[in-house]
Amino acid sequence: MDRCSISILLFAGLAESVGHREVSLAWPGGTAAELRTQLQQHFPAAAPLLARSAIAVGERYCRDDETVPPDADVAVIPPVSGG
Amino acid sequence: MVEAAMLQVSGERVAQAGGPAPRCPAPQLVDGPLDVEGLRRSGHRHGRAVVVFVGTTRRKTGDVITEQLEYEAHRPLAVACLRRLQEEAVERFSLEGCGVVHRLGVVEVGEESVAVVAASQHRPAAFAATAWLMDRLKACVPIWKREHAADGAASWVHGEERPGP
Repeated sequence: MDRCSISILLFAGLAESVGHREVSLAWPGGTAAELRTQLQQHFPAAAPLLARSAIAVGERYCRDDETVPPDADVAVIPPVSGG
Repeated sequence: MVEAAMLQVSGERVAQAGGPAPRCPAPQLVDGPLDVEGLRRSGHRHGRAVVVFVGTTRRKTGDVITEQLEYEAHRPLAVACLRRLQEEAVERFSLEGCGVVHRLGVVEVGEESVAVVAASQHRPAAFAATAWLMDRLKACVPIWKREHAADGAASWVHGEERPGP
């Protein structure tokens, strides 16, 4: 992966909708909200579910205005249904 | 997807031996049957009132008959979220300890999928804490279920709320 791309883990119905459990995007850095928007543009079929999904970096959820650096360990978390 | 709750209250006091034991056992995501008895015993090490909640998978959701469920998780994030919930529950309800075990992978209908224990010096706090832990788990811990219906259809369950801390 080059410096300006990011690898993103997907789960459950989101992975099913996109067709992959992990995707790579060109990403020079930006906010979590911008990353979500970019994913929606790349995967329009998953856009509604992405709109309800959180961005996580490492072991915590990000606020929408938080910066996600290019080398971050990122996952997109759709609405959960444990229990 | 929790159909039945088995609530258990005990006034048994168990002396702690040696130094201070960990208040909360590490949360567990397991690929086989839950060790509910082990979780209950972990509560008894700490509190006079121990409440255990056990959730089992449900066969019928609306008109849909579910044959089997399948759970997946973002494991590192789920464990970290559960740890934070345990810490917050201890603080919020003045618990002596609490624990959570959740099953992943294929779970047959009627089997146990989640268990929570809360140990306190007082019964109301232990009851309230188990309810709070389950509510928070279902709102923010990155675990998902996929329902396999009798007609062969399978679908992931996603609510409307964006998860968050």
